[in-house]
Amino acid sequence: MDGQVKGLRGRVDLRVSIGSLDLKNPVLLASGTCGYGAEIEDFVNLEDLGAIVVKGISLEPRQGNPPPRLAETPCGLLNAIGLENVGVEAFIKEKLPWLRERGITTIVNILGNSADEYEELARRLAGNKGIHGLEINISCPNVKKGGVAFGTDPQQAAEVTKRVVAATDLPVIVKLSPNVADICAIAVAVQEAGATAVSLINTLLGMAIDIEQRRPVLGNIFGGLSGPAIKPVALRMVWQVVRCVDIPVIGIGGITTHVDALEFLMAGACAIQIGTANLIDPTAPVKVVQGVIDFMQENNYFSLQALKISS
Amino acid sequence: MAGRFDMTAKVVSIREVAPETFLLTLHAPEIAEYAVPGQFVMIRPRQEAGFDPLLRRPFSIHRVHAQQEHIEILFRVVGRGTRLLAKVCRGSVLCVLGPLGKGFEVRPAKIPVLVGGGLGVAPLLFLADRLKGGKGVIILGALTKGFLLRLDAFSLTGLDVLVATEDGSFGNKGLVTEVLNRLLGRLEAESRRQIIVFSCGPIPMLRAVAGLSKSYQVECQVSLEAYMACGIGLCMGCAIRAGRQGYLHVCKDGPVFPANLIDWDQI
Repeated sequence: MDGQVKGLRGRVDLRVSIGSLDLKNPVLLASGTCGYGAEIEDFVNLEDLGAIVVKGISLEPRQGNPPPRLAETPCGLLNAIGLENVGVEAFIKEKLPWLRERGITTIVNILGNSADEYEELARRLAGNKGIHGLEINISCPNVKKGGVAFGTDPQQAAEVTKRVVAATDLPVIVKLSPNVADICAIAVAVQEAGATAVSLINTLLGMAIDIEQRRPVLGNIFGGLSGPAIKPVALRMVWQVVRCVDIPVIGIGGITTHVDALEFLMAGACAIQIGTANLIDPTAPVKVVQGVIDFMQENNYFSLQALKISS
Repeated sequence: MAGRFDMTAKVVSIREVAPETFLLTLHAPEIAEYAVPGQFVMIRPRQEAGFDPLLRRPFSIHRVHAQQEHIEILFRVVGRGTRLLAKVCRGSVLCVLGPLGKGFEVRPAKIPVLVGGGLGVAPLLFLADRLKGGKGVIILGALTKGFLLRLDAFSLTGLDVLVATEDGSFGNKGLVTEVLNRLLGRLEAESRRQIIVFSCGPIPMLRAVAGLSKSYQVECQVSLEAYMACGIGLCMGCAIRAGRQGYLHVCKDGPVFPANLIDWDQI
């Protein structure tokens, strides 16, 4: 099968730890682009990846935004899904057992309308076997309440982080929005609030207009831009945040090939997430892992640490 | 889910069968083996590596030639992706993902009536092939004679073929729904219960087909399309309005749906 990694036990050490979260390699699947795992398993051996970050979960099920929800742009994709999800109870009952039985390292992305809701989500998920970490989504641009509001204000971001950290024993990753004046201020605030790591970037707020119909393409008018088009912006922000916090930084944003992944790892990311690339080619994550191994072997890098640019 | 493949497929042939409308034949053994009528594939509309256009495009499987391991795709140039796809040459290789989604649910005890408008005939030829040798009716419609698609191929299935063109240049003058209305209207209630309608075409046509089927109490399945990114249930992008169930997703809940699940006022 295509979706298998060869040479995982080679001399290159790809293991990485994010707090108490031990990953066999630094390639993760980004929330919202891999369903709850089962949807992508025909194409990728999930055990060969660092972890899967499942679709954002809220307390109650969400229907999502009215269609159209997608618009293709040059080298990019605008989406306004609106966090459609099954809700935390259905996730625990119907989705989590599948991931647990396969021993897949699972990070649950959580989303609330208030700090109380984030805390309640952390509490409900606590004690369920098979969850290895939480990723706090304070950066979704596609919902009116919650989401991005917590991601643009350092104090609110810190408050949500504090509440979740207090409610769980799991490592807590905070996913940051690029739609801010100073992403370092948010990163520092959530670090001080006890975050185990930060992941960035979420999508960039954008839009498209249909000139024939003379109206916005997306039902939600605005959407989040992802894909190769945003990679340089994401890489720059990861470089900045790596240099202003002490906690691990997970790089996200348009990573499609092993070259992209290596750029983020060299910028100082401890791990990376693959998002939109899964939608184009569900075997992309495995190709990225393989490409990183091959590059490191050919160029005599024996650890991820050795890749980092120190300045 | 059994048998979904991410594969490279060689272009066996491509030809323009009507203005801006192309018939693409691909050598795709695994897809040809596992596909059922109504399912679709995602095709990357460029041969080179690169990111523009970024996404694959969804196409329903027009027909399968199992022995030759071929699948046929019938598509119209509607944008940049399909314009690029129309330019591929015989012998070139495309990335194809499939077969995907839920197809038509055939009921052997019932008499099938296939209703296709415009490019909506695309998934129906595969279905008609599978129904070959039995009783059944195919109603094909187009704006005008020049846009009637695959009439010969449909006729070869041996099912009864009725044609409607809006300008009357071929077959009945009018809409496929008028032909369907007359056909169902002629039958006794008892015979009507034996009928099952399978339809694909523009939304206004499908709305009318669904409406007629409902008023005549005939089972109806429709094939829908939507903008898609992944085609396999990862992105939740291809939502369509259903009744009380909120949204359904064309790629995994469909593309074929029971017509009574769809909210025809909102879609």
